[in-house]
Amino acid sequence: MSFLHLWAQNLPAFWQGVEMTLELTALALLLAVAFGFVLALMRLSRLRLLSLVATIYIEVVRAIPVLVLLFVAYYSLGQIGIQMSGFTAAVITLGVYYATLYGEIFRGGIEGVQYGQREAAEALGMGSQAIMRRIVLPQAFLAILPPATNELADLIKDTSLVVTIGVADLMFQAYQASAANFHPMDMFLLAGIMYFVFYLVLSQFLTRWETNVQRRRG
Amino acid sequence: MSNDVAVDVRGLSKHFGDRVIFKDVSLQVRKSEVVAIIGPSGVGKSTFIRCINYLHPFDEGSITVLGHELHGTASGGPPPTRAQLREIRTHVGMVFQTFNLFQHLSVLENIVLGPMDVKKVPRAQAVERAMGLLEMMGLTARANMYPRRLSGGEQQRVAICRALAMDPQIMLFDEPTSMLDPELVGDVLEAIQRLAQEGMTMILVTHEMMFAKEVADTVVVMADNTIAEMGPARQILEAPRTLRAQNFLARVLRRNADEEARLTAMGGDEG
Amino acid sequence: MHLAWLYAGVILQGAVVTLELTVVSTVLSFILGIFGALGRIYGPPWLRTAILAYVELIRGLPPILQLFIIFFGLTQFGIDLPPFTAAMIWLVIYGTGYAIEVFRAGIQAVADGQREAATAVGMGFLSTLRKVVMPQAFVLMLPPLTNFVIIQLKNTTLVYFIGVADIMYQAQLGADATEQPGTLYALAAVAYLIMNGTLSRIAAHLERKAAAYR
Repeated sequence: MSFLHLWAQNLPAFWQGVEMTLELTALALLLAVAFGFVLALMRLSRLRLLSLVATIYIEVVRAIPVLVLLFVAYYSLGQIGIQMSGFTAAVITLGVYYATLYGEIFRGGIEGVQYGQREAAEALGMGSQAIMRRIVLPQAFLAILPPATNELADLIKDTSLVVTIGVADLMFQAYQASAANFHPMDMFLLAGIMYFVFYLVLSQFLTRWETNVQRRRG
Repeated sequence: MSNDVAVDVRGLSKHFGDRVIFKDVSLQVRKSEVVAIIGPSGVGKSTFIRCINYLHPFDEGSITVLGHELHGTASGGPPPTRAQLREIRTHVGMVFQTFNLFQHLSVLENIVLGPMDVKKVPRAQAVERAMGLLEMMGLTARANMYPRRLSGGEQQRVAICRALAMDPQIMLFDEPTSMLDPELVGDVLEAIQRLAQEGMTMILVTHEMMFAKEVADTVVVMADNTIAEMGPARQILEAPRTLRAQNFLARVLRRNADEEARLTAMGGDEG
Repeated sequence: MHLAWLYAGVILQGAVVTLELTVVSTVLSFILGIFGALGRIYGPPWLRTAILAYVELIRGLPPILQLFIIFFGLTQFGIDLPPFTAAMIWLVIYGTGYAIEVFRAGIQAVADGQREAATAVGMGFLSTLRKVVMPQAFVLMLPPLTNFVIIQLKNTTLVYFIGVADIMYQAQLGADATEQPGTLYALAAVAYLIMNGTLSRIAAHLERKAAAYR
């Protein structure tokens, strides 16, 4: 049971790592959702240029691995005079990358709302903003939430990439501790348990929410 | 134009690219008049009535609805302002073939949304009016249910309530019963008939010939993308003068006769 | 620009390693994934539970953590894997977890009526699976399977950290040597962009072709 002793010893450091991981996740999520919504509106826009720009952005960013983007933000931008802390680089990288995923989810959700819903609201004399806010978005939300929650689970996992640029998240704490005490398996298992808890909480939330909605809407 | 006219359509035309949806349609609807538009599928009937509340813009001609004049996009008149559109749509209610109830809102919320959002009616008053309408339709027990749990006939009657809650002066119906199972059609037609008796101005696109004959003052036959013939309901349906109207009605009557024969035969088997 | 040309060859070398990891791990993952999916659907209850737990575990843990467990973690028990081997083992373990889900969803998406119809004409379980279910499932699975290859390609970027000489590794070596990380990582980005772009093109083409069979 020596690993229990090791776990207890490292718990404070790991907990700091968890805080960092959650902080990264929250800020990146905020950026991704806001920017993703803008991307979705651009792609749905009747102005060809706007939708073209958004499409190209999404296609290009999505095709590049997150780790490469992170290195470009952290190292490459430094070469042209834009210096960022590892934390800032990570938030921006994850934010702009996940914005492409959230953008497509939002667009799909909005497009999935039947045209008749919009038409019926127009026939009542509602304005286009009110229609978006009160008819389209609430219905799109139902379609958006499950894939959006899935992406959030991926986002939490992807924050672990910051170990490569030395941001002190959960993954980094585990890596450092394992290098110090030569018990890498014990350290990575502890980190694994912590990551898995996030995953379980999110997937449980999703299952429960989905059955709730289904029951309510019949 | 006399004060008596609710809708005045003059020389209306609409295209989608090269395809003509309808051309040169003119029609006057008096207050409290019930106009039924019939005709084969795909002649632009649904698109036409969507022009009246400007859900669809049109290319040429003009429509005057309750004193507001709408112009074709190609005829150079100014496009309607937002305020004008709101004004028209507040006074023109519409009921759709596919009901289009807002899926994320309960029956009651569906009905109060328009009055509260567009006309700024206080909630208590909107709810009271909505419950009154639901009671009239015999749907009081459904008020807090979501649309998906209702039968098609119930959904369509809720949709009628939703339109009526705005206190419209004109009602548009786009094939209100064609998505319904046969046994549910009656309730919806009854509701429409009651509105007619109360003096509501109505334009309805329908495939129910018997109903049109009974309820409509005027019947318009649309064929080949324009009005083939129009006149008093009984005369049009029993003794159409134009060849196109005769053809259409003959086809419909034959189909109905076939249907009846089949039903009789089936009934014989079962009995 | 000069630097870019100089390092293009090295990046290309890295790309060969990246492709090798991607292709081999994808093929192995697909094979294991099919069996995993069949076990998940038709197996005895204990097997179904075990496979479900495996899939959830793979999906719940960060990829880099899984790689570290295999490469660093096992050293605690005296198992010291060479970087390339560790990378390949990880990619197959990880890929199998995802492949099981793709195949399971594809097989289950084929309507029950199809299976019933095949059973009704007297076909056995295996021939029903092989001749009726799989051909239809495959069409449904084409998009997620090509997507899988793209994900796997992106995953290979992590292996530079344990010293496998892939694109990222070469780019980092170059960046350290020249102190021009801007150029080198941009070069790496372009390399991945080209590979993923090609994959997406192939995917779109396959999807169009497959759509004809539906």
